[in-house]
Amino acid sequence: MSDGGQQLCGGGTCKGLCGGKGFETLKDGAWTSNPLAIQVLGICSALAVTNRLENSLVMGAALIFVCVGSNLFVSLLRKHTPHRIRMIAEVAIIATFVILFDQFLKAFYWDMSKQLGPYVGLIITNCIVMGRAEAFALQNPPVLSIVDGFANGFGYAVALAVIGACRELFGSGEILGYKLLSATWYEPNQLMILAPGAFFTFGIVIAVFNAIKGPDEEESK
Amino acid sequence: MKGNVYTLVYSAILGTACALLLTAAATFTKPYQDANKEAEEMLNILTALKVPFDEGATAKQLIEIYEANIKEQDASDELTYYEYRPASGSLEAVAVRFAGPGLWAPVKGFLAMEADKRTIRGITFYEQEETPGLGGDIVTDKFRNQFAGKSIVDSSGAAGIVIGVGKQTQDNGVDGITGATMTCDKVQQMINEVLTMIVEEGK
Repeated sequence: MSDGGQQLCGGGTCKGLCGGKGFETLKDGAWTSNPLAIQVLGICSALAVTNRLENSLVMGAALIFVCVGSNLFVSLLRKHTPHRIRMIAEVAIIATFVILFDQFLKAFYWDMSKQLGPYVGLIITNCIVMGRAEAFALQNPPVLSIVDGFANGFGYAVALAVIGACRELFGSGEILGYKLLSATWYEPNQLMILAPGAFFTFGIVIAVFNAIKGPDEEESK
Repeated sequence: MKGNVYTLVYSAILGTACALLLTAAATFTKPYQDANKEAEEMLNILTALKVPFDEGATAKQLIEIYEANIKEQDASDELTYYEYRPASGSLEAVAVRFAGPGLWAPVKGFLAMEADKRTIRGITFYEQEETPGLGGDIVTDKFRNQFAGKSIVDSSGAAGIVIGVGKQTQDNGVDGITGATMTCDKVQQMINEVLTMIVEEGK
């Protein structure tokens, strides 16, 4: 997140994906500092909506949309936004995108909207979105900000999908409504559908993620 | 240094832009959202009346099923009967809407009765914000299924059901939800208001 990206990318001299900065940003958001598994942000919604894979996917899509949209506009306006009210401006932009998505769901995916309940609206207060706007989009050019928004949204979506898949599989023996574990030998574990199941699964996901990624270089020093 | 005027102008422009965008989105999606809400209400009437329909039916299909089977009949200003008349034409069941204050927010639903208007056939709640896990359990099958077959009058013929404590032995009683006495009382009250009207109207 140095200013290098701005110099490389700001003047419209984008080579490749923002002069090589793009891939790093993408990897950072989706992997090395994954918002859920590493930064442990936005877990309220992650625990609440992951009882089924379908819900997790829609929630992930919502966050990608909001992150990309808000990062883009915060970045576009970053040189014009008065410093004192930048946070209010960020929230206004974020809220606009969240409500847009919510309205869209209510109009065309009513059942999904009912299942997600208040959690779509609560994306407004999701730390990931605000965090990316404040920490990244304010200092970086639009294209790179879009990449960052997408990367973080994607990182969140994938982690959510993994948790959702585990909970749905063990909680109801299905994935996306397809019966995978036959009822003849597998008794669905109700605990996985309920809140404690989310905590267990989330903990295991964080552990596995960290085991694959290896120890943090800064921490191990 | 950018002055206060700039900050004000900036806020005004940003606010207006966001508001305009949201207004446009709301206006564009309103007809779809309204149709969904209407279908949701119809779904509840159909469920309460136990009209057979495919669970995966779309909003449009639901409206079609509803229009083919249900006739709305105003009994008075406050009481509308939703009559279930299958293709054969005879009255199969009838539903009424009930509404009232719950513990936290309005509770609304439909109560369906057999054609005699004295025996309960089914009940649904389509709007409630009661405490999840306690009062919110009024929407569960376990609670709702108790109503089927119950009488809407007590042994002396007075209108009303009882959502009581513990297992109820009388014809018009159902077992309330432990820990949700307030919700149960309020639901009982709003249902009984409608039942009184039905019994009065039948006299």
